[in-house]
Amino acid sequence: MYRYDEFDERFVRERVDQFRTQIARRLDGSLSEDEFKPLRLKNGLYLQLHAYMLRIAVPYGTMSGRQLRQLAKIAREYDKGYGHFTTRQNLQFNWPKLKDIPAILDLLADVEMHAIQTSGNCIRNTTADQFSGVAADESEDPRPTAELLRQWSSQHPEFVWLPRKFKIAVTGAEHDRAAIKVHDIGLKLKRNEAGEPGYEISVGGGLGRTPMIGKVIREFLPKDELLAYVEAIMRVYNAEGRRDNKFKARVKILVHETGAEEFTRRVEDEYAKLDGPTINAPQEEIERIAAYFAAPDYEDLPAESVTLDSARREDAGLDRFVEQNGFAHKQPGYIAFTVSLKPVGGVPGDMSADQMDAFADIAEKYSLGELRVTHSQNLVLPYVKKDDVPALYTELKAHGLATANAGLVTDIIACPGLDYCALATAKSIPIAQEIAKTFADDARQKEIGELPIKISGCINACGHHHVGAIGILGLEKGGRENYQITIGGDATEHASLGERLGPGIDGEDVPGAIEAIVETYLGEKQGSESFIETVRRVGADPFKTRFASFVEERSKALEAAE
Amino acid sequence: MAKDHRAGSKVKGDKLPAILMASDLLEGDTVFLFKDGWTRDSREARIAYDQETADAMEAEGKGAAAANAVVDPYLVPVELTEDGHPVARHFRDVMRQKGPSVHLDMGKQADFGPIA
Repeated sequence: MYRYDEFDERFVRERVDQFRTQIARRLDGSLSEDEFKPLRLKNGLYLQLHAYMLRIAVPYGTMSGRQLRQLAKIAREYDKGYGHFTTRQNLQFNWPKLKDIPAILDLLADVEMHAIQTSGNCIRNTTADQFSGVAADESEDPRPTAELLRQWSSQHPEFVWLPRKFKIAVTGAEHDRAAIKVHDIGLKLKRNEAGEPGYEISVGGGLGRTPMIGKVIREFLPKDELLAYVEAIMRVYNAEGRRDNKFKARVKILVHETGAEEFTRRVEDEYAKLDGPTINAPQEEIERIAAYFAAPDYEDLPAESVTLDSARREDAGLDRFVEQNGFAHKQPGYIAFTVSLKPVGGVPGDMSADQMDAFADIAEKYSLGELRVTHSQNLVLPYVKKDDVPALYTELKAHGLATANAGLVTDIIACPGLDYCALATAKSIPIAQEIAKTFADDARQKEIGELPIKISGCINACGHHHVGAIGILGLEKGGRENYQITIGGDATEHASLGERLGPGIDGEDVPGAIEAIVETYLGEKQGSESFIETVRRVGADPFKTRFASFVEERSKALEAAE
Repeated sequence: MAKDHRAGSKVKGDKLPAILMASDLLEGDTVFLFKDGWTRDSREARIAYDQETADAMEAEGKGAAAANAVVDPYLVPVELTEDGHPVARHFRDVMRQKGPSVHLDMGKQADFGPIA
């Protein structure tokens, strides 16, 4: 893992001290709310429906057991005993008090954590594939790139007041697990024909009220030119992005209105004017960062574990857990695991302080002290020896962390929605809970297979509904909560936006509608096709037809009841 | 800076009776204008039955915001229970008045018992 150097440490401590005095000035009345708000947002502090909310950065989703234990302490002492992992691989506390924020930030700084770049119109926390460095299908580890971008973007003087927020994601694998096509900049590590390392660069992806798939503006950029090229993109955006209208201020709108070709030309022009070598990181710095992400000292193990194989034969629960949540590791004898934060009926992404403490111990015992956060609001243990899996499973189970549903219909992304969020137009979590209860049966989940459902409680799309195989968007209609359903969205390398099935429906009808959609899939499915593959082959029409009849049945039932 | 939250109540049409809701500056939780200052128990909230009282309450809220006691005060249209307790008419305001629907052990509903 990356360790702070003196500069990082001083920078974070200074920011805490600054914000401490800003809070004091707010409390003594020297700062009005209008003056204070942009300052608190720059430090990840929001004011939500019931309380303040503090969003803590987890750079590229990587965290140590020690850090998680500190989060548990904060949850217990300053919040209500739990935290919430977000779709940006960050963590939110839902109940901190303004007066306690400096103490919380001090505790975070003690473990090299902070809330910088989690809000405001700056370059936000860079996200990455949660299986970085361990995935069998990875060509290169994206974490050194993400860390380089973190260092470069932190308080970059030119880019602290962008037209709007700016999100970068990186992947080093063929299969995109970081949703790079729906980020402002998506970076994919690749090699050119000569075998040299570099990046494919996409710009202008995003969700929100105007969803867009990113456009590739550079097929191949030599690896050592990254910062100068990203700086060129940022300069074009900073100069030309629309500051007149918040809803049109993201770079995706600029790319869309300018046209990808013209936007590319402007970036290339800007890039030609920049003095690359003065911007790009020196080689020794790149090597210094990369050294932190060097592969750990793996043990030399046989590819298959006799211990695990025989335990799997004896314990059906363990077998199912490994089958569903296990992930192929590049190192023989090792396996990575998705640890689901989606128990049926739970709040997607929530973790209690007790679970955090227990999981910190587990990560230290079984995964070299490291864990990851996924954008699907789950956790990952990246370095598990196959021989250790039976013991690991027993411990996870004891703490309610062994739900074998990674990627299945109950592994639902849901934003906090109207239960917490000041922006929300409708509830999101209870919808996820009801769907999960409807599909709780393990055999049924397995039969349905991979099916990412994503729910947002407003048009801002924190729940990524546009790229859900089934997407659900909660809005307000006629003084009631109303839910629009889409299908066919995909956040991977085959990125696509979902298509609406029909009119919005009541929240209580959503689980039934999802069942109707799933039945349609099972009826249309050929061979081992996943839901999204079937939708791609047959199109949305059979689903629309079935949805329309569902809506009609429901309205007849309602009329009859009246 | 553009508004980045949905301020004010979303109730359309007749907005009375109403109570005044805000966030406490220090704690961040929901507070209600009381006969004298602010309360956390919505059953005690002062209720405006006429526009003149509503306007006066709104002005009092603005004053409290200017004095750095509360943030974002706004009038919330309510209905009255049989006991005469105000209950917000819009589901968003109800969420603030009660607490999260997914955590009945948190928020005002936990502190003061069920709110209608």
